[in-house]
Amino acid sequence: MIRYTLTRLALLLLGLLVASVLIFLSLRVLPGDVAQLIAGVNSTPAQIEAIRERLGLDQPLPVQYLDWIGGVLRGDLGSSLLTGSTVASELAEKAEVTVPLGILSLTIAVLFSVPLGVLSAVRRGRGDGTALSVGAQALAAVPVVWAGMMLVVVFAVWLGWLPAQGFPRAGWQDPAAAMRALILPALTIGIVEGAMLMRIVRSATLQAVGQDHVRTGAAKGLTRNAALVRHGLPDVGLSVITVLGLQVAGIIVGAVVIEQLFTLPGIGRMLVSDVGARDLPMVQGELLVLTGFVLIVGFVVDLVHRVIDPRQREAA
Amino acid sequence: MLRRTALAAASILAAGALLLSACSGGAEPGPTSSGAPDPDASVAIRLVLEPGNLDIRQTAGSALDQILVDNVYQGLVGRTPEQEIVPVLAEDWTVSPDGLTYTFTLREGVTFHDGQELTPQDVVWSLTTRKNTPEWRDSARLANVTTVTADGQVVTLELAEPDSSLLWNLTGRAGIILKEGDTVDYSTAANGTGPFRLDQWRQGDSITFSRNDDYWGDPAQVAEVVFDYIPDNQAALNAALAGEVDVLTGFDANLKEQVEANGDFALELGQSTDKGTLAFNQTSGPLADQRVRQAIRQAIDHDAFIQSGASGETLYGPIPSLDPGYEDLSDVAPYDPEAARALLDEAGVDDLELTLTIPNFYATTIPQILVSNLNDVGITLEVKSVDFSTWLNDVYINQDYDLSFVLHTEARDFENWANPDYYFTYDNPEVQDLYAQSLAATDEAEAAELLAEAARIVSEDAAGDWLYNGASVVAVGTNITGMPSINVNERLNLAELAKSNG
Repeated sequence: MIRYTLTRLALLLLGLLVASVLIFLSLRVLPGDVAQLIAGVNSTPAQIEAIRERLGLDQPLPVQYLDWIGGVLRGDLGSSLLTGSTVASELAEKAEVTVPLGILSLTIAVLFSVPLGVLSAVRRGRGDGTALSVGAQALAAVPVVWAGMMLVVVFAVWLGWLPAQGFPRAGWQDPAAAMRALILPALTIGIVEGAMLMRIVRSATLQAVGQDHVRTGAAKGLTRNAALVRHGLPDVGLSVITVLGLQVAGIIVGAVVIEQLFTLPGIGRMLVSDVGARDLPMVQGELLVLTGFVLIVGFVVDLVHRVIDPRQREAA
Repeated sequence: MLRRTALAAASILAAGALLLSACSGGAEPGPTSSGAPDPDASVAIRLVLEPGNLDIRQTAGSALDQILVDNVYQGLVGRTPEQEIVPVLAEDWTVSPDGLTYTFTLREGVTFHDGQELTPQDVVWSLTTRKNTPEWRDSARLANVTTVTADGQVVTLELAEPDSSLLWNLTGRAGIILKEGDTVDYSTAANGTGPFRLDQWRQGDSITFSRNDDYWGDPAQVAEVVFDYIPDNQAALNAALAGEVDVLTGFDANLKEQVEANGDFALELGQSTDKGTLAFNQTSGPLADQRVRQAIRQAIDHDAFIQSGASGETLYGPIPSLDPGYEDLSDVAPYDPEAARALLDEAGVDDLELTLTIPNFYATTIPQILVSNLNDVGITLEVKSVDFSTWLNDVYINQDYDLSFVLHTEARDFENWANPDYYFTYDNPEVQDLYAQSLAATDEAEAAELLAEAARIVSEDAAGDWLYNGASVVAVGTNITGMPSINVNERLNLAELAKSNG
């Protein structure tokens, strides 16, 4: 187990290093730079060059990369070329929106997908089971933005129950208002991600029903459903944990879109505007942190998986 | 990936808009409230473009002028929405008959937001530093100024030669008065003399102003103004209908019925100096031929842009009607596909293929109309939709484009047609000479006449095309008064803004 953990950890660090190079290079492909944006139209080439020099954009690429990664290793993620604020402080501020949004979305997704997924498997072949399964397929195919629009039209514009966009300026100092602002966006992501998760739960449940130890349980006198709950659901749980790991990445992508739609001042929206502004140190820092987060979640999922699933340990 | 997401988002939003329009009623807007203004009110204004940072000295972009000039920072003179020049920090001014000496009497009792008093030395320092610091925006606009001196409250500007644009330039960035040696961090904070203080900036979200209670003039009528940056029109409409914002600027006039549906908002269309400019790279190739450029202009149905935006007016030359030197030039390039085809034949051009480079935040109807209009006369247009940074790099800096569309919002920016190095690539010594003469004129009417003459030549040369003169589309809450409606993309003076509870 220790060897496995160490190997897996080394892979994680290698992944981060490769990611940092890819992030750095991929952004350099983009035409234009922040100096041009600062100078804007009606500026002279000399003005732009002066700004570029001041910002250090005239340095060769390897120097810029080493500068950046050296800073990261010392715990300095860099700072904005435009405003001078640090990536760390910006991320911390925007995380107050994105992290609760992600947790809420994931909670909503799990809360409705697990029971409904199991139900649709158990009721397979009957009307309600089929309806659930078709419904999940349809929902999973809905674009996040469209789902969000519909929720806004119904709950914000028609019923007026929830805000259509934005986040209270007081932030979490007014928890009720902050929560209200997050409900529609979280529902949007939660429903679409949950629908996907529901299909996973359904097929995992179906698989579990056919497993020997569940059948043995049933043979020992448990009802089919009791056998499923006692012996089958742990397997389903394993599948769910694995998929949840993947869905963290899905939720981050969803947040980029949803934060635009609901004009939430979160990490996703910051990322889009920083790319547009070619504020590369910001984008690099943000992407590195997000990539690191997804890689770490994958790492943890793998470890957890190994701890709770005896079959994997035997195989090793 | 981001661009694809944005595209998908836009098309889905469009579908949402259709659905929404199908659901809303068509009630008339309610009467404007007659309730008394609430001095403690907070007004939320939707804006489209958020500034990257707040450094008014160095950072370009109308997003900064729009909110900071007039409200936070002020100059010796300012301008009304109708583009008239008025005294601000100067009580009055005189210009010597030879146009070489400008004398301003500085107002007494003006303080900066940090409590320090405005001194004549601050004025001298601000204007001199602006002029001598090329990295500061618009420093070249003070090029004709030789000295700035102060004697008591009297500030004198001496010029090397007459400059009919000087007063106007002083109403903009070039004339902003800052505190000498100020230590404020200009990129995130501000220290001006205006009726509002910069309170808070939540990047990616909003900027908040609060009333400056020590203001030298009439205090603002609201305690707080919040600028909410909501790029998407549909999201802005939702916010308005849900009562989260009081004013929508940069709105889509096509959504008039929806925003007016419940009677809480009324849509106002004001004039603007926004010029939807189609630039032709005329350095070489087919576009170097005036006949080809003229053919393109005559192939374009300019009314279609007005209809698709449900606002604005047609424009056939480089000067919009709010600016001096305007003249109706519709006779120069009337819509006539037949004539366009004939011109292309005459120029010996067929199966012309051109690329249009356009920043991706403009309405897709603009390239659509162009593609179909040009296709009619046998020109194939490939649309290259890029983000603004890419546009700046490819078009503005490298002049690597055939056709380019950008909305030029600045007032009185004819100078670009007299600058052969500008990305318009238009080089006509006669125009440059007329422009220089207009600057040197000491009489306003004469300066305007010379500009009009130059503008006609630019249009006749088909140096570019002007697809439309945009309108300021503003949806104003019926309990709001004093909201400017002219040219609000460029300047948004909120001194008169008031909100009643009724």
